[in-house]
Amino acid sequence: MLRNLSSHLALTVLCLILAPAAFSQDAKLIEAANKEGGKAVAYGSLETETFEPIKNAFLKKTGLKVEYWRASATKVMDRALSEHRAGKPIYDLVITNRNPMDLMREAGIFTKYESPSWKIFTPDVMDPFFGPAYRYNVFGVLYNTKLIKPADAPKSLTDLSKPQYKGKLVISDPTQHTTIVQWFANLHKIMGKEKADKFIRDLAAAKPLMVESFLPAVRRATSGETPIATGFLKWVYMFAHREGVPLDYIKEPSHLGEGHFIALGSKAPNPSTAKAFLDFFLGREGMKIIADEGEFVPLKGLDPKVPGSDKWNVVMMDELSRNDLKKKRDEYRKIFFGS
Amino acid sequence: MDHRNAVLGRVAPAFRVWVRPLEALSQPFSWLIVGLTGILAFLALYPSLFLFYGSLVDEPLGVPGHFTLQNYANAFLDLEAYRLMTTSFIFGVGASGLSVTFALILAWITIRTNAPFRRLFELTAIIPNIIPPILISISWVLLLNPSNGLLNVLLMRTFGLEKAPFNIYSIPGLIFVEGLILTPLAFLIIAAALKSMDPALEESAKTLGSGEFGVATRITFPLMRPAILAAGTLNFVRAVESFDTPAIIALPARIDVFTTKIWREALGSFPADHNLAAAYGVGLLGIALVFVYLYRRFTSQVESFSTVTGKGFRPHQIDLGRWRYSASAVALLFLIMMVALPFVILILTSILPYYHVPTWETWQTLTVKHYGYVFQHERVYRAFGNSLFLATVGATLCMLLASLTAYITVKTKIKARGVLEALVFIPWAFPGTALAIGLLWAYVNFPIPIYATIWILLIAYVTRFLPYGLRAVTSTIVQIHKELEEASVSCGAGFFVTFRRIVLPLMRPGIMAGWIILATIYMREFSASIFLYSPGSEPLGPLLFFLYIDGQHGPMAALGIVISVVCTVLIAIAQRFSRWEAR
Repeated sequence: MLRNLSSHLALTVLCLILAPAAFSQDAKLIEAANKEGGKAVAYGSLETETFEPIKNAFLKKTGLKVEYWRASATKVMDRALSEHRAGKPIYDLVITNRNPMDLMREAGIFTKYESPSWKIFTPDVMDPFFGPAYRYNVFGVLYNTKLIKPADAPKSLTDLSKPQYKGKLVISDPTQHTTIVQWFANLHKIMGKEKADKFIRDLAAAKPLMVESFLPAVRRATSGETPIATGFLKWVYMFAHREGVPLDYIKEPSHLGEGHFIALGSKAPNPSTAKAFLDFFLGREGMKIIADEGEFVPLKGLDPKVPGSDKWNVVMMDELSRNDLKKKRDEYRKIFFGS
Repeated sequence: MDHRNAVLGRVAPAFRVWVRPLEALSQPFSWLIVGLTGILAFLALYPSLFLFYGSLVDEPLGVPGHFTLQNYANAFLDLEAYRLMTTSFIFGVGASGLSVTFALILAWITIRTNAPFRRLFELTAIIPNIIPPILISISWVLLLNPSNGLLNVLLMRTFGLEKAPFNIYSIPGLIFVEGLILTPLAFLIIAAALKSMDPALEESAKTLGSGEFGVATRITFPLMRPAILAAGTLNFVRAVESFDTPAIIALPARIDVFTTKIWREALGSFPADHNLAAAYGVGLLGIALVFVYLYRRFTSQVESFSTVTGKGFRPHQIDLGRWRYSASAVALLFLIMMVALPFVILILTSILPYYHVPTWETWQTLTVKHYGYVFQHERVYRAFGNSLFLATVGATLCMLLASLTAYITVKTKIKARGVLEALVFIPWAFPGTALAIGLLWAYVNFPIPIYATIWILLIAYVTRFLPYGLRAVTSTIVQIHKELEEASVSCGAGFFVTFRRIVLPLMRPGIMAGWIILATIYMREFSASIFLYSPGSEPLGPLLFFLYIDGQHGPMAALGIVISVVCTVLIAIAQRFSRWEAR
């Protein structure tokens, strides 16, 4: 008991020492941000519905605005790279998954910013350049339970090629979406190479509907147009919670996953506003808002809300280089488009 | 100075421009012509040159590169390229053929028969100004997708079918929707030709013993042939260059046409290949130039075939007898397909909590929350602001350029006329997608910061739709007799005073009608905007598209309805300024 009390006291003293320093940094940043114009621009693939509450909370707390442009990871990367090459970056921050973030970092579009908020994360989720993965996406196959009863639902990924699911499947287009290319290329880690290759070929033969990325795919499943979609398992909670749409997912022994990161642009037009937002975003308050929306946040006490998530075995995806992505894209184009 | 010298000296000093150039440059009117030619040349030629430049270098947008022909080899020298061209050709011919067939039937019923309510069917002409084409495409996906398309589901339930009878995600589906979208344009051309035909020829044939069928096949149709060919050629180009319908139907169905190929593989994939996009853009521009040239030849034949003289007459009208109600039913069916069904499904989608086939329980869950999204969401406000800015400033600039160009080409005999007409021909043919790619290359390293701002959209809109403004204003300007200008000059006014106090007020109805039509087009422009917008300058067209592909069907439909209402109000105002027939 006494030991506990002394440790609590030590923690309180530490907080009292650190708090004014953090507060003065916040105040200085906010002052500098206001001088810049009090507005930053972020590009990202994080869903707008998740970003809005955090943006509003930041505005309420600091009076600073963040304009957000959401698109697929591929489009975010293309736009950011084009603006960087042209020497006219509009964005201050980029928020997307690891593979495109690394490709953009290699192109020199980011600068390392060690946010004071990094301290609340454990070392296992830290990247030396980007800092913590603020969320993890776990990939899988979702279906609309209003249109497909659990008994009739596919039980594994390989079931998707069965005739009864023909015309009911939507996936993101591998010629337009780098993350599905990465998913296909990593499937061997959870299925074995032979089975994974056969699965991809069978999937192409089932002629699924093709959309730009995972979010448009799952939206088609929620509307019932194509009730089975590839996507993120968190949507089971999110769509039920936000819109009352009944979704479930195929339970696999293992699922592939990937971290998402936020980074500051190397030529950010509004660096102070961007830093202030990044601090808030990765801080406990920001993380709690994101977790409340249903994201899988790597902080203790902010547990995933999807039923059964505690039993998942998540295998992290390997990254693909620029050349590998191009090679794999061309390979899948041949499989899915026949040319 | 006598009267004749006064006219030559003040209104048309450019007669002398080419005789004594140095002296001419001291005249304000000459400077006006030079300035106007410069602006038109910049708008039309600058992006064209950079489109070629982009297709001939080996480095991406914004990076200086080396000369190469590899992009053309990649674009056009494999089997895939021929498959792409064949699909685009089938799509273009199919959509154009269908639209001309529908338009011919509608125009014939409306103008040449005694079918009841035929005036109502003339509304066909204004549909594209009310419902954005992208919304018509989306509506038909919601109606005819094979899983839960509302019409498909109704047909399956009614007839106990196991499988959906229609699949919109197919080439026939693509052709059908694009055909519906292009029908009003074909209707305008064909109806105008039908109205201007002298009935004396048909009456003579009847007097000589021909029946209605004989008159139609031996007199009416041959006289209509140039108009049909003109409508068909123009719609072929419009179909091949369109991105609205292919983006909604062809992309998910893995059907490749030129514009989807540019979007999906050249710009949409990683790494993006802007050089390949430019090479495809040059191909598209080449096709468009050839077919727009053909269209203009056919149009000039329409004019030479035109049998209208100054005398008033009513077109020959056929008494359909008891078949007249059937004719009305056919025309009504077209109108239902083009307007009613898309509008109904959009309204339904806008009040459903999330899009699904309605059941009896649905009626208890109807909501107006999506309209709340439209009126409360910052992104929508910004897009509305951007589109309103582009509509007002763009339409004003465009009509100013169009008025001056029309005045010089119609009212003067100067040699520069030909140059101006040639410069206006390029935007007429420039496909939105190709223009957008040309503009990206043109402005990425431009000294004035235009790239990734709303100004690049403004330049695209003014360039691409200048011919529309010209058409609206030319029809008014030809009716202004030169005596009025001569009188002004005789009283001592110069060119600018005469233009401002005499010509402009007389042109006002045409200018206002053209302005409003352009504003409605700019409010919903998509094909160029999707390639050019940046996050802060997103207009309504791309926003509708992204709401749709992100699956936010409710907000998308609510926004579409609001845009359509705004456009309807604008059109109603335009109707007051100018009668549709005058266009």
